Amino acid sequence: MEEKKKMDPRFQFVTLHQEESEHIAAPQYSYWKSVFRRFFSSKPAILMLIISGLIVVLSILQPMISGYDPLNVPTINDFSTHFLRPSAAHWFGTDNIGRELFDAVWLGTRNSLLISFAAAMITTVLGVIVGAFWGYSRKMDTVMLEVYNIVANIPFVLIVMVLVYVLGSGIPQLIFALSCTSWLGTAYFIRVQVMIIRDREYNLASRCLGTPTSKIILHNVLPYLISVIVTMISRDVPSFISYEVFLSYLGVGVGQTDQTLGKMIQEYSQYMQSAGYLFWIPVAISALISVSLYIVGQTMADASDPKTHMQ
Amino acid sequence: MAENKEKILEVKNLEVTFKNGKKEFVAVQDANFDLYEGETFSLVGESGSGKTTIGRAILRINPTSKGEILYKGKKINGKLDKETDRWVIRNIQMVFQDPAASLNERATIDYIVSEGLSNFHMYHSDAERHQKVVDALKSVGLLEEHASRYPHEFSGGQRQRIGIARAMVMEPKLLIADEPISALDVSIRAQVLNLLKKFQRETGLTILFIAHDLSVVRYISDRIAVIHKGRIVEMASTQELFKNPLHPYTQSLLSAVPMPDPQIEKNKKLLIYSGMEEDSKTDPRSWQEVLPGHYIYANESEMVEYRNKVTL
Ligand SMILES: Nc1ncnc2c1ncn2[C@@H]1O[C@H](COP(=O)(O)OP(=O)(O)OP(=O)(O)O)[C@@H](O)[C@H]1O
Ligand SMILES: [Mg+2]
Repeated sequence: MEEKKKMDPRFQFVTLHQEESEHIAAPQYSYWKSVFRRFFSSKPAILMLIISGLIVVLSILQPMISGYDPLNVPTINDFSTHFLRPSAAHWFGTDNIGRELFDAVWLGTRNSLLISFAAAMITTVLGVIVGAFWGYSRKMDTVMLEVYNIVANIPFVLIVMVLVYVLGSGIPQLIFALSCTSWLGTAYFIRVQVMIIRDREYNLASRCLGTPTSKIILHNVLPYLISVIVTMISRDVPSFISYEVFLSYLGVGVGQTDQTLGKMIQEYSQYMQSAGYLFWIPVAISALISVSLYIVGQTMADASDPKTHMQ
Repeated sequence: MAENKEKILEVKNLEVTFKNGKKEFVAVQDANFDLYEGETFSLVGESGSGKTTIGRAILRINPTSKGEILYKGKKINGKLDKETDRWVIRNIQMVFQDPAASLNERATIDYIVSEGLSNFHMYHSDAERHQKVVDALKSVGLLEEHASRYPHEFSGGQRQRIGIARAMVMEPKLLIADEPISALDVSIRAQVLNLLKKFQRETGLTILFIAHDLSVVRYISDRIAVIHKGRIVEMASTQELFKNPLHPYTQSLLSAVPMPDPQIEKNKKLLIYSGMEEDSKTDPRSWQEVLPGHYIYANESEMVEYRNKVTL
């Protein structure tokens, strides 16, 4: 039997190439390339990205071109220019003293976006940095937990309102008030995430190689949290926009002369019956911003989770 | 043979306690053993017996609650100054138990393997660093092109070899190999074992090998310690331990080693060791030497019995 097999001309010896079996046939993997490929495979996300991009660009450029100033109202005594319905000549119509709503809306959008993006950025950057070290330091934990527990038990709106009353109203003040305590929530969330992955074997391995904590946080921990950080940003930006609208509606927050979406909604809400477009157009824009940014953020968060890259 | 060599590591009365809130759990107690330069010393015991805990105590991941660990005569447990800390890292490295969990998934192999090199600036130029990475990869049978890949693209055996490359690139004197082959397919276990042996031949590496069954360690270790529920119960040279397995737990581990003979296997009785019961109050157990180099955890009456068995 053995003999026969050896002689069988249908069989022949081949040499074993050890190296061949180690080759990886798949193309080079690149994290960010995969993230973008994944993101752009979602049609709704592309649509929402275009919408939010358009809104951002318009809100930056349009006020520059129009030079709109809510305090400069030459038409105030020209009643023929008041309450004009949206038309080809006045795209979004005019308000009670003849100001172009189209111009006003983009200036308001710009300021609302400025407030929410700035607050979200401060919240995220501060929250992630503090949270990462919080998750590592036992000493810091005992102190920070107390602070967090106190702050978390006071309603956020109350904190913001008190701060605005104390600091006075205005855009920088509002940004400060919104981000003053909200970063603690982000930091707490990051702390929990860090504690979960801190003791995984690959992090112990890094410690055994003498890697300092800050380098471990940067290279081993934060890359695993990209997805949750993006999720948090995409939740924070719309929620800060809503807070701005809500606070301006209550009459606290930005100053008398500052134009924001919330301020417009508050001012024009009295015309909801007589000239509804004055109220609904700013509301629609703020809703559109929230929804589009949220969907872009969520899709981005999904795409930045490498588990979705394999499919 | 190992006895006339120099002691590289001494573990004395080691105890490791985990605190979980108010509850305390003693994972390792009263562990005593020495490692001699260039030998392979195996720590064998069932799951949860505290093997990893001992390995991690040596690497200072787990703080010790009692006892001493000396590396080349210098105390390395407890609080260390920065210099000693870095000296220990340069000398003692570890291969981790779970290849699926021990590599940073968001970093390239190049980063992972050169992490220790860059922490200690063990190169003069980036080209030299990369060359060291490539050499390390080749020494474990991987390819240069793997450097730019990510861990998820590798098989379990390849990942474990990356873990070995990461440790060996530091040129350690002592390697703690924590069940490096338990998570691997049977077909590639020999490959990893041979790799460790190759490094030992080439560099005179001392290996603390952790395993959960005796069949694996028989062919690679010079001496073996058997650990049960956090306590080392028997320690001897490999030959001696297989010739005179005295402790009932060692015997039960031996009975679990499969024999390549169906007739023996068929009639084999599996021994199950349920723990030490009787009169530990009146006649306390201690760590004693039965024969030169053969230690056992026993009380006086058991010692008499063991001595008789040995002389038989
Ligand atoms: N960080 C920890 N906190 C609390 N208990 C722990 C911790 N690490 C290990 N233990 C406990 O210590 C005991 C010994 O664990 P260890 O990991 O050393 O076992 P092992 O011998 O390596 O087992 P295996 O073969 O499964 O790896 C176990 O009961 C385990 O639950
Ligand atoms: Mg273990």
